[in-house]
Amino acid sequence: MAAKYISREKLPEWLKALAAERRVLVPVEEGGSVVFRAYDPAKTPVFGSDATAPPKGSIFPASQELFSFACGKEGEDVKPTLTLEAHTEAQPTVVFGSKPCGARGFLIFDRVYMGKKYPDPYYIAAREATVFVTMACDTVENTCFCHWVGSGPADAAGSDLLLTPVAGGYLVEAVSDKGAPFLDSPVLTDGSAKTAEAEAVKTKTREALGEAPDIANAPAALLERFDDMEFWRDQSDKCISCGACTYLCPTCYCFSITDEGSGLAGKRLRSWDACMHFQFTLEASGHNPRPTKAHRLKNRVGHKFSYYPTLHDGLIACCGCGRCVKSCPVSVDIREIVQNAVAKAKA
Amino acid sequence: MSRLEELKTRIKEALPGLECVIGWQKGYDALHNTPLFMRSDADVDKLEWGALNVHNPAVYLPTMAGKKVGVVVKGCDSRSVVELLQEKLIDRDNVVIFSTGCDGVVDLSKVKAKLVAAGVSAGNAEKVVTDGKTVAVTAGGQTVAMAMADVAADKCLRCQFPNAVLADVFVGDPAPQPTASPSGNADLDALDAMSVADRMAFWRYHMDRCIRCYACRNACPMCVCRDHCIAQSREPHWLSQDDSTTEKLMFQVVHAMHLAGRCTECGECQRACPMDIPVLALKKHLNRTIHDLFDYQAGVDVAAIPPLLQFKLEEDNIKERGW
Amino acid sequence: MTDPFNPYLPEVATILETVQETHNIMTFRVRFDDEAKMAAFKFGPGQVGQLSAPGIGESTFVINSPPTRMDYLQFSVMRTGEVTSKLHNLVAGDKVGVRAPLGKPFPVEDMKGKDIVFVGGGIGMAPLRTLFLYMLDNRADFGKIRLLYGARSPLDMAFSAELPEWTSRKDIETTLTIDREADGWEHKVGLIPNVLLEMAPSAENCVAITCGPPIMIKFTLEALKKLNFPDEQILTTLEKRMKCGIGICGRCNIGTSYVCVDGPVYTYAQLKALPNEL
Repeated sequence: MAAKYISREKLPEWLKALAAERRVLVPVEEGGSVVFRAYDPAKTPVFGSDATAPPKGSIFPASQELFSFACGKEGEDVKPTLTLEAHTEAQPTVVFGSKPCGARGFLIFDRVYMGKKYPDPYYIAAREATVFVTMACDTVENTCFCHWVGSGPADAAGSDLLLTPVAGGYLVEAVSDKGAPFLDSPVLTDGSAKTAEAEAVKTKTREALGEAPDIANAPAALLERFDDMEFWRDQSDKCISCGACTYLCPTCYCFSITDEGSGLAGKRLRSWDACMHFQFTLEASGHNPRPTKAHRLKNRVGHKFSYYPTLHDGLIACCGCGRCVKSCPVSVDIREIVQNAVAKAKA
Repeated sequence: MSRLEELKTRIKEALPGLECVIGWQKGYDALHNTPLFMRSDADVDKLEWGALNVHNPAVYLPTMAGKKVGVVVKGCDSRSVVELLQEKLIDRDNVVIFSTGCDGVVDLSKVKAKLVAAGVSAGNAEKVVTDGKTVAVTAGGQTVAMAMADVAADKCLRCQFPNAVLADVFVGDPAPQPTASPSGNADLDALDAMSVADRMAFWRYHMDRCIRCYACRNACPMCVCRDHCIAQSREPHWLSQDDSTTEKLMFQVVHAMHLAGRCTECGECQRACPMDIPVLALKKHLNRTIHDLFDYQAGVDVAAIPPLLQFKLEEDNIKERGW
Repeated sequence: MTDPFNPYLPEVATILETVQETHNIMTFRVRFDDEAKMAAFKFGPGQVGQLSAPGIGESTFVINSPPTRMDYLQFSVMRTGEVTSKLHNLVAGDKVGVRAPLGKPFPVEDMKGKDIVFVGGGIGMAPLRTLFLYMLDNRADFGKIRLLYGARSPLDMAFSAELPEWTSRKDIETTLTIDREADGWEHKVGLIPNVLLEMAPSAENCVAITCGPPIMIKFTLEALKKLNFPDEQILTTLEKRMKCGIGICGRCNIGTSYVCVDGPVYTYAQLKALPNEL
């Protein structure tokens, strides 16, 4: 399909048109952070740098009702009743202006939430109702490492439309069947004259990332270090065991389930959870299979770079966005940990 | 010998008797230092001292109970060590405190904002040069010079303790007492000037983007419940896991109340927040109240008992019999 | 259009009966309110379910009744934490939610024609009970069946109402043991692994299934090795904290193996191949 073009000036017009029909989430500045919020023409979206928090909540909200429950009594002998009500339907949504890494995160979700045995109806409904209009990167930061994990600054995987910054505006390409109809918008013009420039931007940005180190051996190397608790102590010493890395990660998909509400009515919630928290694996008996932050960081890194790829055709459960590095209060660097494990395996 | 070299020498001397010594080293880029756990002389050689040592290493001490450890501290960090000692959360015999005079640290959020304003990518810092008065950051080939006063952490602008209040090893000359800048309390002043409704709106606006990662809690040296925090416990079930502004604000209020008169205002809660939520102001407000009521400041006297950890029949400033 | 299957939505069930097994173990017999779903419900011995009560939350328990007896589904709950304590307050007639079956059952087909040794300790008898009763109901399919069931004291012995039948049946060999002498106890006294060594079952064409507290399992495995049971012929079931029960939520994995879907039943050989994180 022929590529289109939109100028920077016309972008609000397109966003307004999209927002008239569905929820449109765009990155906006809030108190020094950039977060995805429903499009408001009064606020200028921030499309330059990557958002502080990825658009994870668009499909996987921080908390979500699995069902509501209501207890009652009926009949002369006052029999208890229990009614459960679940709503899985999702709101049609466009996530506009995420970087490729933010959209790609859902590819890692898909393997788990759209599995054959237990497809997740909440996730699937939201996934199907959401369109990703992604913005290819024209700059990189020193925390970016998408090229380590089989991705890149113009990676279209997981996106439906790809916008590439060119002089004056953006080249707009459909990269999925779901994205194609959006090219019909009257605010878009022919983009054929811009494709060469866009290609040059993509190439230049990819080159700016440089060469990725060879971490092909990471799955085996991490497993080999499993019982080496001194190694994990050293990697996790400075970690403060908070959840910033996991909650800001576009690929971290773990959750908790809790019942909230007063005795007779309430809801069962699924909410983001973090494997870095002590309580995550704490058993009722008091036993905890991952009692220290060293055990927990081992599982976090192991899951992303060893267990998940082993289970899912080598796909690394990391999109290389670098938020875990950049937003970590103590600058724990997952790249360094993986490389340390790989280097030990070689030694 | 520079004070950093002297510090390294003294740490190396002490290291054989210690599990480790906690300090700072260079991180993933020129702008980010990162906590360092020194276990060998080679580790000690990585030690850094300066304006990028933003973290408070006292946070690690309660988690290392029973082990004899060393810790390198700035003046403000030493107050956390003292408060931990006051509350008997760490053992004096098990901690060796190393320090030297502090000239202040930067607030990386302020530095990044300056870089962005200058059109420079904050994510590409290559070089940082500080001389106590200015901070020059080179990123993407461009150098941006900023006045330290403009990018220093708020706590440095109101610093009373540039030198450790308690140290076993203090090298070099003490740093001079900085003159307090009124902008060090700009956050509280702004909140004080608001109506109650505006203040509530302020907190709702900011707490809305909280991701409940609890970096604020885990970066706090005085947050010692950590693994048993009411934020996640079901017994008591004080907070729901609902992602609502009310629940998130409620946690901050509980957190601040728990720290009233214990908080040394090291600012780690706010610095650690990945979403830049100004949560320190809540603690500062309560500390001010504690100061007014009890004339007490946390973490300056090992022998003092924090006012909310003791009971007096008649408080000096609370004349309940007179009501 | 019918809604897609929702793996998080429990079946509403009613507690038909509760049995106070020991001071801290209570058995719940439940039946789905939807009779058609109850009639269609299929599971294998060893599969688990998430039992919940509204407002209390869910917890994982093995369905310890056998698939051959479908009057009700039985769960035995030891009071250890917040959810289990509250579940203990429920009475007959109360409504619960059940998500089942989850996980993999014992490989019963592979066990046919073989001798069987059950070694259960305390609440660990629950996951064995379903398979044990299934085998009794299909007695001809299996060789010699031996049950060694132990608890700290006679009062800690769950399923006590069934013990007379189990000990008197001629087509099985049941040994009961307690850790220390107690008044009126007519059976064995001694730690399970030691009693097992005394019994000395032959490993020849025999499968051993064990479940109990971690320390008991550790020494039982050692005893079974002394008796020359190959790793592949030793089965156990694992317990982990679970939330979703369907391999997503991320807490029950041991490396690449998710206890909720790949377990809870593992052979000792499989366990040894997993990373050491029990």
